Amino acid sequence: MNVQFKKGVLELCVLVLLDKQDRYGYELVQKISDQIAISEGSVYPLLRRLTKEGYFTTYLKESSEGPSRKYYALTEEGRTYLGDLLTDWEKFTNGVNQLIKEGVRDE
Amino acid sequence: MNKEQFLAKMNDALKRLPSTEREDILQDFREHFEVGLSEGNSEEEIAKGLGSPHQIAKEMVASYRLEQVEESASTGNVLRAVWAVIGLGFFNLVIVLGPFVALAGIVFSGWAAGLGFILTPILYLLNVVIYPEIFAWFDLFFALFLSGLGIFIAIGMFYVTRWLFKGFVKYLNFNVRMVKGGMKHA
Repeated sequence: MNVQFKKGVLELCVLVLLDKQDRYGYELVQKISDQIAISEGSVYPLLRRLTKEGYFTTYLKESSEGPSRKYYALTEEGRTYLGDLLTDWEKFTNGVNQLIKEGVRDE
Repeated sequence: MNKEQFLAKMNDALKRLPSTEREDILQDFREHFEVGLSEGNSEEEIAKGLGSPHQIAKEMVASYRLEQVEESASTGNVLRAVWAVIGLGFFNLVIVLGPFVALAGIVFSGWAAGLGFILTPILYLLNVVIYPEIFAWFDLFFALFLSGLGIFIAIGMFYVTRWLFKGFVKYLNFNVRMVKGGMKHA
């Protein structure tokens, strides 16, 4: 899949994963790379940027195994942003799917 | 590449960032390695999954430079941000440097024209001092007219510069978001 494509969608993936629960970095990276082939390291610049833009807050939590982990939590602002992105995404994918369906039928 | 090598490479690539910022970034990767190890992966596997520390660091630096521009839009900060975004990949050399040189050209020539026009009466009078015989009222008034025009151009350029600058910073932000960034099968 096209690289630019994936990078734009990565933001949406991270936001979606944090919608229901707070997660730590490694967990987010694993969840995404289970589904999409990415260089795992590229998630961290994204997490950092979204945190600085106020979409996430972070906190440290002790873990039963090993040192404490940095958890990411969605802010209200982040939730609104996720809503906007999801709406855009649905419109976009519906449009593309429609075109694909029509294209395939014509052939 | 093991954990130490990965972190050392990253630290090296981040050395121009302030130490608090750098330490914060490195800490996230230390944690990533620790969690990965506790789940039974080897340091080498984890490092391989993360991808190039150099590329990740470049992206971190570019984001940081753009934040700096948003804090203080000095020429130095803008140039550093442009440089960092260009460094993200060869592709950016074309799509960032090209527009940047073009915009810088427009801004420079606009200001040069405005200032040149504003200075016309002074230059004209200087000329008259040296060669008094060429003095003509029409020329003086025309020079004053150009000076007025120059003031309008300068005021216009003030807004154009600010507007172009904001637009370009947005474009840089878009670049950091969308272009390259250590994806597999790039």
